[in-house]
Amino acid sequence: MTDVSINHFTFHYPQSNVKVLNDLNLTFKSGHFSLLSGPSGSGKSTLLYFIAGLYPHFIGIDAVGEIKFGDTNIKDIPREKVSRSVAMMFQNPNQQFAMDTVVHEMTFVLENLRVAPDKMDGIITQALDFCGIKQLRSRVINTLSGGEKQRVALACIVAMDPQVIVLDEPFASIDPGSREDLINKLKLLQTEHGKTIILADHDLTSYRGLVDEFYYLDPDTHQISLLDERQAEHFFKNFESTQQMHKQVAIPSGDDHAIIKLNQFKLAPHTSLLLTLNHFDFYKQKTTLITGANGIGKSTLFNALTKLLPYKGTIVFNGKDIQKIRPLPYAKNVTLLFQDAENQFLNITVKEELDLSLANRTNTDYTQADVDEMLSKLDMAGKDERIVYSLSEGQKKKLQIIEMLIMNPPVLLMDEPFKGLDYHSLEVVVGFLNRAKTDFHQTQIIISHQLSGLDTLIDYHATFEDQNLTYQEVIK
Amino acid sequence: MNPGMKLLLVMLVALEISFTQSLIVNIILIAVSLLYILTQHISMKALFGIIFWPLFPAVGLFVSQWLYGSAGIHFAWILFTRIYAYVFLGATFTLTSSITDLSLTLEQDFHLPSKFAYGVLAAFNLMPKIAEEVRIIKTSALMRGDALHFWSPKLYFKSILSSIQWSHNLAEAMTSHGFVEDYERTHYKVIRITALDWTLFIVLLAVVQVLLFFIRY
Repeated sequence: MTDVSINHFTFHYPQSNVKVLNDLNLTFKSGHFSLLSGPSGSGKSTLLYFIAGLYPHFIGIDAVGEIKFGDTNIKDIPREKVSRSVAMMFQNPNQQFAMDTVVHEMTFVLENLRVAPDKMDGIITQALDFCGIKQLRSRVINTLSGGEKQRVALACIVAMDPQVIVLDEPFASIDPGSREDLINKLKLLQTEHGKTIILADHDLTSYRGLVDEFYYLDPDTHQISLLDERQAEHFFKNFESTQQMHKQVAIPSGDDHAIIKLNQFKLAPHTSLLLTLNHFDFYKQKTTLITGANGIGKSTLFNALTKLLPYKGTIVFNGKDIQKIRPLPYAKNVTLLFQDAENQFLNITVKEELDLSLANRTNTDYTQADVDEMLSKLDMAGKDERIVYSLSEGQKKKLQIIEMLIMNPPVLLMDEPFKGLDYHSLEVVVGFLNRAKTDFHQTQIIISHQLSGLDTLIDYHATFEDQNLTYQEVIK
Repeated sequence: MNPGMKLLLVMLVALEISFTQSLIVNIILIAVSLLYILTQHISMKALFGIIFWPLFPAVGLFVSQWLYGSAGIHFAWILFTRIYAYVFLGATFTLTSSITDLSLTLEQDFHLPSKFAYGVLAAFNLMPKIAEEVRIIKTSALMRGDALHFWSPKLYFKSILSSIQWSHNLAEAMTSHGFVEDYERTHYKVIRITALDWTLFIVLLAVVQVLLFFIRY
């Protein structure tokens, strides 16, 4: 029996007096499936990295307190034996493989564990079989989809056969089919093979009735509590309600002006077909919401609209094929608010970032007073000299939104713009977006899983499903 | 031939022809390399590439030496063929050896730290992602009204920042996959330097010495 027990565990960064994790005392029970939830950026990953034995080695800052596997402090396990006790699956499918092909990666894993070479083929076959991906054995990892990569990551863990499996938001960017399949495989590893599963996720879809324990990391107290059934149910319900909005919206009528037209459009990066559209229009000075499952191709559509990815067919902006518009003017007209705020930053400090937008914006609709007001409303005033990469995820998002509003492009595409924002900030941002639309005639296209709080903003709603994009009357 | 030995041989020969001046030896090296490459079933596109692209620097060197140099047209031809000799020698390695095998032999036979061997390999496998990242950075800058070119410091700053982040993530992933620096590992594919490798290496190197010694033109 190897319970993972955490005793008086406290972690904080030396330069800050806020404790990321504050005097944690809890036990992840052996052979149980534990879900750890809490808002993004609340410190879930930090704890998991400590449990997986990656921290303090990779962060260089030690924590106070102890983590024990059974009776053994994790620090007393020799480094070469840690992998026998615990393995981790990461959030980003692209950065967890060292080798080129699936079989090479799995061989690498087994070599690290000093498995006898003549046993490797059998173990690899078994692990791939368990994960249902025998056919991927010789594939080059770079050519796999996100969902396939995460299955390979799980196959590596199955081959390693550790007692504890730790997963850090492993389904953040994969399609619903893969997500469900992987969750079922994890459940099987727990029930049939007695593994201890510790999974962190802020998205609570499909965990109800499946997990044995539900832990919540409170972002205010920085402590973790085990929820009873009633509290857990409350969280599940609450989560579902943020994914819902009951609002009747119109289907675009003939009176609207189309600003972006897609014709005979086909999107198939890496040879897998994501979207086929005979004809689809986005409308001027409207806010269109696009919803759909993870990994289905919503962000990829934005990448095509911004010419980051090739596509088949034509995209017409203001009557002109976008391939015939030069890159700089096009980028200033059809601008993307990246899902990852860091992709937007080009400078070091907050002030430099704001100054760049003020210097290069296409128009001066926003006055300096407007900018100052936006900063103070989002609690970002007085942070001029802060290094952008040192901001919290929520602050990065706020800065990113403000600087892209200042650019004030005619068309603003937004990929999960509310991710990591608290509800109050979300309402403030919705106010800013409404103003940009009514006062400055901005066209907005938004991809979002967060729906509650957006009622006043959304004009049209399109769902992305079965390789198709269609306007809907109801948002739910 | 063992990829590590092959790389070493190619590098030694390339170094030698940098300091010697023999047109005929250059041509022999090109011809032998080409014959070897042709036996290895490479694509016509790759073959065309290694013939076409070096033409620009080779012709440039040739013309400048011929018209403005003091050593005459013979030396101009030496420079011209030298470029091709480098490229073809390099191609005998790059077009026919796998980077994975190279890492394996560097680790197992040349006793380089395994961290180095697998680090290089992982970085190599990240190349397509880096190209993608550069495209994102450029587009993102355009959206802020800033056109970044390949000489723009910002482009490098951002790419280096991403690379540091990636290498960090990769190191964590490798550790999580059981990799421990400088700790003993088993090897599924054992790559040895055979007697044949040694013989080929010594004979080929000796032949080049003999050619360089006797053929001075």
